[in-house]
Amino acid sequence: MATKHAVEGLFAETANGPRLLGSRCATCSAPYFPKSPVCHNPECTESKIEDAEFGPTGKLWGFTFQVFPPPPPAKFDEPFKPYPMGFIDLDEGLRVLGQVTTDDMTKVAVDMPLELVIEHLYHDEDGNDVVTWKFKPAA
Amino acid sequence: MREVAAVGLGMHPWGKFEDKSVTELCRHAVEAALADAGAQWRDIEAVAAASSRFSGGKGWGLNGNDVVEDMGSTGVPVYNMSAGCSAGANAFNIGHMLVSSGAHDMVLVVGGEKMPKGFIQTSGVEEHTDPEFLRQRCIGMPGPAFWAVLSRRRMHDHGTTEEQMAKVAVKARKNGALNPNARYRKETNVEEVLKSALVVYPLHLFEICAVSDGAAAVVLCSAEKAKQLTTKPVWVGASAVATARFDDGITRGIGGMSPTGITHHSEAAAAVKKAMEGAGVGPKDIDFVELQDNTVYYELAFPEEFGLCEPGQSEWLLENNETIPTGKLPINPSGGFISFGEATTAQGLFQICEVGWQLRGESGERQVPNAKVGMCQTIGLGGNATAVVLKS
Ligand SMILES: [Zn+2]
Repeated sequence: MATKHAVEGLFAETANGPRLLGSRCATCSAPYFPKSPVCHNPECTESKIEDAEFGPTGKLWGFTFQVFPPPPPAKFDEPFKPYPMGFIDLDEGLRVLGQVTTDDMTKVAVDMPLELVIEHLYHDEDGNDVVTWKFKPAA
Repeated sequence: MREVAAVGLGMHPWGKFEDKSVTELCRHAVEAALADAGAQWRDIEAVAAASSRFSGGKGWGLNGNDVVEDMGSTGVPVYNMSAGCSAGANAFNIGHMLVSSGAHDMVLVVGGEKMPKGFIQTSGVEEHTDPEFLRQRCIGMPGPAFWAVLSRRRMHDHGTTEEQMAKVAVKARKNGALNPNARYRKETNVEEVLKSALVVYPLHLFEICAVSDGAAAVVLCSAEKAKQLTTKPVWVGASAVATARFDDGITRGIGGMSPTGITHHSEAAAAVKKAMEGAGVGPKDIDFVELQDNTVYYELAFPEEFGLCEPGQSEWLLENNETIPTGKLPINPSGGFISFGEATTAQGLFQICEVGWQLRGESGERQVPNAKVGMCQTIGLGGNATAVVLKS
């Protein structure tokens, strides 16, 4: 049994804690997640893409609850357990999608402060712990 | 540019038709549109068609070619337009240009679709470079979740209640019950809507459009030709197409720039603005609108984003019955996507047919009184959007 990323290259546990791995244009500061080889901002005068890390803090712009098992290619452990998810605006100017980890769904609220975590998503056929990025309520 | 008239409107009703092919659905719509125009198939000089990902088209989206082969191969040019749910009105845009430019005097626009069951899987590929795949695999977030997040944010911003959202569905189904082309023709009530399955909080089954089969067709022609064919042509005020802006606030993949202002659905707002400008009309001149209500949320958000009413005013209009056919701002007198379901690439054309029938005063019990100017709009995968203004 090992820990595997749901998709490689999107996030990492760094010396400073969990971060999303993306890029940013040095000219116009447009953020990209996942990484982009070029800047797509039509207002930008010169594409200068650099690696960038995003997170860990931000706030919840809007949310919903996934109440039924999502269709493929989503994967989850049986029995399915509903989860909150939403659009999170990170402090670095990146709006990212993600699940919100909480035991109490009634506590999920618009504008709540959140913190990036790397947590279990599902067990694959070989019993590996497959992890992804999620957000937990910030202390 | 020449004036263009919509002289033929035809539709196969929306529903689930296990025993009919998409070609049969299209033939029904095309024959109805030709009969409505008083024209023959051989009068059609060119065809602009919506490309489907789900049915017909030889797997290449060559749906216009299917129609031409079925109706009789006259050798006409065919333009197959791919634009997700905006394909129908995207084809209409090309058809309009073919006539307004003077290239052709009579053109057929057609869209037909048979949909697979269940939620639409937008791409269907398992590739790590595909944002749809990443969103579903890494986050477990299917498409309808977007509508839910937007809906919940609206509840926060404008105090919208779940009852108000249910009332949008009740209003839609009331109109649909009066429309022989709609799929859902039974009225509902707030209690029934809220008791229908919670698909993705806060949206219930009756508040989200189903997938349907259907086809619609429009015959466009020059003003000169229109005068020979009919005494009450419907004029194309403008047909506009736009795509999403880089700074749009709706994340199309799994991450993007946090928006600095309200720039949601930038493609839809841009298409509507272009269409109104092109037709020389303002929001006050629009007598009614057919808008893309994949879910009830859009019937509240879009009128505001399009400048048809003030931000936060939609719920008031709804509660005061101003969005019914006899109200100040009738929305979706056809019953909308909620009553039709979604035959993706044909949607824009069912809207155009409905607007045309309303302008001709032929919409029976769902008629908007004195309708002179009508608008319809679609928004589709890939950041595609369209808007059309028709005038009597
Ligand atoms: Zn740039």
